[in-house]
Amino acid sequence: MRTYQEELKFIEKSSPNCWHIKKGFVDNMKVDGYFYANPSLEKLMFDELKQSCNSKGFGGFLPGMKQIANVAALPGIVGRSVGLPDVHSGYGFAIGNIAAFDVSDPKAVVSPGGVGFDINCGVRLLRTNLHLKDVSSVKEQLAQCLFDHIPVGVGSKGIIPMTAQNLEEALEMGMDWSLREGYAWAEDKEHCEEYGRMLQADPSKVSSRAKKRGLPQLGTLGAGNHYAEIQVVEEIYDQYAAKKMGIEFKDQVCVMIHSGSRGMGHQVATDALVAMEKAMKRDQIDVNDRQLACAHIQSEEGQDYLKAMASAANYAWVNRSSMTFLTRQAFAKMFKTTPDDLDMHVIYDVSHNIAKVEEHFIDNKQKTLLVHRKGSTRAFPPHHPLIPVDYQLIGQPVLIGGTMGTCSYVLTGTEQGMVETFGTTCHGAGRALSRAKSRRNLDYTDVLSALEQQGISIRIASPKLVMEEAPESYKNVTDVVDTCHAANISKKCIKLRPIAVIKG
Amino acid sequence: MFKRKLLALECSEVDRFDINDEGRFRALVLWLEDQKIRHLKIEDREPLRNLASNEWNKAFQSYLTEINSPHDGSDRKALLDWLLGYAIRLEYGDQVDKYKSATPESFKERKEQQLSKSINPLDNLDFNSPEFKAGITSLAMMLQIPPHSNHLEMLKAICIVIKEKFTQEAIDSAGKTKEKDEHIPLDKTELGFEAGDYIITEAAKILRLLHLRDLRDLQTHINQAIVAVQAITANPKTDSRLGKVGF
Repeated sequence: MRTYQEELKFIEKSSPNCWHIKKGFVDNMKVDGYFYANPSLEKLMFDELKQSCNSKGFGGFLPGMKQIANVAALPGIVGRSVGLPDVHSGYGFAIGNIAAFDVSDPKAVVSPGGVGFDINCGVRLLRTNLHLKDVSSVKEQLAQCLFDHIPVGVGSKGIIPMTAQNLEEALEMGMDWSLREGYAWAEDKEHCEEYGRMLQADPSKVSSRAKKRGLPQLGTLGAGNHYAEIQVVEEIYDQYAAKKMGIEFKDQVCVMIHSGSRGMGHQVATDALVAMEKAMKRDQIDVNDRQLACAHIQSEEGQDYLKAMASAANYAWVNRSSMTFLTRQAFAKMFKTTPDDLDMHVIYDVSHNIAKVEEHFIDNKQKTLLVHRKGSTRAFPPHHPLIPVDYQLIGQPVLIGGTMGTCSYVLTGTEQGMVETFGTTCHGAGRALSRAKSRRNLDYTDVLSALEQQGISIRIASPKLVMEEAPESYKNVTDVVDTCHAANISKKCIKLRPIAVIKG
Repeated sequence: MFKRKLLALECSEVDRFDINDEGRFRALVLWLEDQKIRHLKIEDREPLRNLASNEWNKAFQSYLTEINSPHDGSDRKALLDWLLGYAIRLEYGDQVDKYKSATPESFKERKEQQLSKSINPLDNLDFNSPEFKAGITSLAMMLQIPPHSNHLEMLKAICIVIKEKFTQEAIDSAGKTKEKDEHIPLDKTELGFEAGDYIITEAAKILRLLHLRDLRDLQTHINQAIVAVQAITANPKTDSRLGKVGF
């Protein structure tokens, strides 16, 4: 066991906003680790490491830096293991960690821990042509109306009737299912990562247990950090890009939906971890941390997981599409007009927890990689073939959901991000206090009254858990976004502030 | 010879048919039986279908007896003329109503229409005459299109410009979106790669923007196709009784 001072020898500042974790920090590192942080965020990172050294590794999670390094020791990893400014400890992989594996390398692995339990958790932003003053008088009713349409909380059930057959089709077709059934607009698909459907999905690889959990939950928000927010534009940093997204003026009203694949994705991940533990023994895959269960990409377990993960991802898109449909209905009812007339288009829909096969340049050679993005957002630069035609000149929009009561951001992808982080940037604030710690340290009535003071309407299913999601439990989202902007792995475009929150 | 009758039967071989060519003769007989006369059952046509066989003439003779031909094979011209007439009679019998409406007047009218088509001035243009080239050049100058060494390429460019800027549709839509018309600042647009030279960079940027416009059109068509399908398949339902808020 090394002391904190000894550990520090492996860590070096490589640029004003980026730190380098050198090989040797943990065993078997095949590539270097890097993480992005500004002075206040890096303090959190180093404190975490210090604490872990002092407690001699007992108790609690591994510090984020160690997790980034352990990922760098996985077989078949290429380039670097990257931590983003919002990085914090997670299961196996840190949340906010990116790792890419060479698909052509037979030793390369896929790891459910690198995707996360809430598969294709993501954020979708809808615009409207309403102004703050159009909604401020009916804010409470609007929040209630949304709350009535979108069931929230653990164990909530959706109001869109689904049969088992519907679910099978939805898992296979993703947003194409929503389109076919009329829950989505044609333009929604255009403005969604992956066009809302992963083609390798195979519902037969999803356990019946996962399907059983997923069936009643479609069209529900869930709990934890998920929310639906009515927001207004607070600041526009890039007029041209904002205009391309249909954001024309300050105080324009938008709706942000943050949700994922609910119990369904969780079960898919759990099932895969069990299967992979066996595969690791058989194929003699060594990893530094038991939580980094993985399988060779080409193995049966690896392929089965990727097909089931794609199905869960499709479920998440259908879920967000269903909630988009319900949101449009709620607004139409409230303002006695049609969603069309309210111009309620999807600006974009991003995925936070997913593994995708992409083309990248490693040492000037084009390679096909399996990119794991956990708690991070794809942020492709202008002219990338996989981003919608409307955003070809400005780069992919990146939606950064803040925490309850704090602001949210829209960023755009950059060429620099393509070079340094596999075209990836942060996904949100990133937890600073564990859920348990937040519950101990904060009082829910204080949290609620703080929101009230800011003039934010709130509808919440389980108020006693609201401390877990209080801004104090998270890193400062503005710090996180500014760090990404300064490192030029993404660019600031729009800042939004909430006026009403619906939460589990 | 036979041309009018073959035309009337809409035979595609009209121009190539030669009664002295045994192969073509046999093929025509088969085609007439297959398409028009249809006297035999399909499976009974087999011997006729065997065009190269030595037995063909025998099969043909028995076929002639079957359809009560007044001619045998000795005078092929007379025989074929009768056969074609027979086919036309059957064809007419099948669609009496259609042909009944044909009067001398309507026939004349149709003929006139065909005539006026062929006097379409565009068909008789010499695309390489100096006058034609000069016309293109002056049109291009009027429309401010930069010159190209191939005048036919120029003509294409002129067509595109006219279609996009001067058709009724284009003028209408330009009037509608006038306030929203936004210019893309070329100098602020990033090309995304190095072209090395200022002029080439500008040109590449323009090409890129044109390509984006084509992509946008394609995407719009895709969306229209989706909407058309949705008109048939979409039937969204909600049932608020199913809803349950968690704890």
